[in-house]
Amino acid sequence: MTTVLEVRGLKTQFFTQDGVVQAVNGISYDLNEGETLGIVGESGCGKSVSVMSLMRLIPMPPGKIVGGEALFEGVDLMKISDDEMRSVRGNKIAMIFQDPMTSLNPVLTIGRQVGEALELHMGMSKSEARQRTIELLEMVGIPSAADRVDDYPHQFSGGMRQRVMIAMGLSCNPQILIADEPTTALDVTIQAQIVDLVKKLRDEIGMAIIWITHDLGVVAGLADRVAVMYAGFFVEEAGVKDLYGDPRHPYTIGLLGSLPRLDAERGRRLVSIEGLPPDLIALPEGCPFYARCNYRIDRCETENPPLRLVAPNHRVACWIDVTTAQPTR
Amino acid sequence: MLAYIVRRLLWLPVLLIIVSFITFALGYYGPADPIVALMGQNYDPEVAAQLAHEYGLDQPFGVQYLKYLERVARLDFGESIKYRNQPVLRLLIPRLAVTIQLNVASSFIGVSVGIAVGVIAALRRGELIDRLVVFGVVFGRAVPVFVAGPILLFLFARTIPVLPPGGWDGIFSRSAVMPVLLLSIGPMAVFARQTRAGMLEVMGQDYIRTARAKGLHEMTVVTVHALRNALIPLLTILGFLLGSLVEGTFLTETIFGIPGIGQFAFEALGGRDYPVIITVTLLVAVAYALGNLWADLLYGVVDPRIRQA
Repeated sequence: MTTVLEVRGLKTQFFTQDGVVQAVNGISYDLNEGETLGIVGESGCGKSVSVMSLMRLIPMPPGKIVGGEALFEGVDLMKISDDEMRSVRGNKIAMIFQDPMTSLNPVLTIGRQVGEALELHMGMSKSEARQRTIELLEMVGIPSAADRVDDYPHQFSGGMRQRVMIAMGLSCNPQILIADEPTTALDVTIQAQIVDLVKKLRDEIGMAIIWITHDLGVVAGLADRVAVMYAGFFVEEAGVKDLYGDPRHPYTIGLLGSLPRLDAERGRRLVSIEGLPPDLIALPEGCPFYARCNYRIDRCETENPPLRLVAPNHRVACWIDVTTAQPTR
Repeated sequence: MLAYIVRRLLWLPVLLIIVSFITFALGYYGPADPIVALMGQNYDPEVAAQLAHEYGLDQPFGVQYLKYLERVARLDFGESIKYRNQPVLRLLIPRLAVTIQLNVASSFIGVSVGIAVGVIAALRRGELIDRLVVFGVVFGRAVPVFVAGPILLFLFARTIPVLPPGGWDGIFSRSAVMPVLLLSIGPMAVFARQTRAGMLEVMGQDYIRTARAKGLHEMTVVTVHALRNALIPLLTILGFLLGSLVEGTFLTETIFGIPGIGQFAFEALGGRDYPVIITVTLLVAVAYALGNLWADLLYGVVDPRIRQA
């Protein structure tokens, strides 16, 4: 399986009046062709910033990508010129966003907004772009697309708008689709429709997907591999079955333990993780999860554990082996 | 849409009746007497009474007003008291032409420069150019026409005498430069400030991020995706602009001795020339009303959400 994207030590910070916000702290991962990588974590853990950094869409200033590289088709996305980056965005790497109600421009027609990328990246004429836009809208399941192509965003429902966003994202047959919490703003039945649509399109088109969410349930049904993010770090990364069946990081265990399950024994109480994530302006020297961890040892307070392999394709950043509750060597 | 326009236009006569009534009443019950103003030092009560009778000024208010309305309905706005026996309309039309030229030129310059400056300031927020614009806006709004006018005159007609100090040789002559500049300062400042504020808000919107994520050039993002949204609130001001320009015209034309309706109205106020005053007032009311209607229609053009409703 070929790797389409190699991210190494990506680090993004925001220089604010209150101090330097360490939003993403050196994350590394590979994305393989046709693979779906889920990135999960709670609000403010750096999920969105990490992918916005990939696209170089971080508002600069105050944001700054301070380190790392992202190799795509042999070039480092962090180093190429703005013009070269623009030819990648929306073309080879496309992105869909969280809130379909605000992510479409209210004063431009749907056709214009989808067609724009086609004209720009595929060199289509206005009428070709329009024709292709109608096909794309049909593909994402918008009824009577030929009539609706001249409608404006306010004439669409939230779910339909997210379908439009997906059509826009897929318009130039990207190799990678980055989905930044695309179902969070939608109600549950629409969420399921959107997830099913993306699955279907992934199987047809074969693009790789980075799917960001805080919803562990959505990822379980969609992703091949899942990375758990905490305070700007990847703390665990594994195949979806391993992660859910055999979580090795105390934070992942806590997250899964806080989910209600249909197959749980009656009367079992949901556990919650005590405390709050650390302040990203003043990150602790040691493990960022130290203060909330049930397994902590002295070493965790002073040394931040790197990701280490605990099983094939299963990496965890912890000084403890949670299966035995003993420190690793 | 058409029904909406017709409905709005049907309201116009009602508005004009209200405005004319108020202006007429102010003139009738007001302290000054046009006959006194007309005769000046040669005041003679007998002649005055005869003149008042001649102009119908000795009749009761209601009669005078209804007669006036009846004549206005035939587009007869009466005769000027100062320019004896000349119909107001005939006096007004050539002057109106001058004023319209002046206003069109200055609003075009004010609005386009204001928008451009506002966009640049927003995109360069916090930098030197932005601070200069913000300072200029405060200055432009704070300094009234009757202060800025003499300063301009002092600078460009006296210190560096490159422009004529007054007079009127048409809109494309050097005599038009200073008055157009003076009149455009106000709208320029307002539009620069509002465009800056609008752009700052719009550039932070999610759909701008979407546009960038599509790989569009920043120029396209600003002009196609941001500016149109930022302009929507500006349309309200555009409606007021037309009316407020007419007011600015009064002073500007007086300062530069331009034969427009501003100067004419100013003269008429001094001479208590009521037929002229009322007609100009009605004109300003029409300008405001049409300006607002035009702005409302533009809303529909720019914002599809309003077109629907």
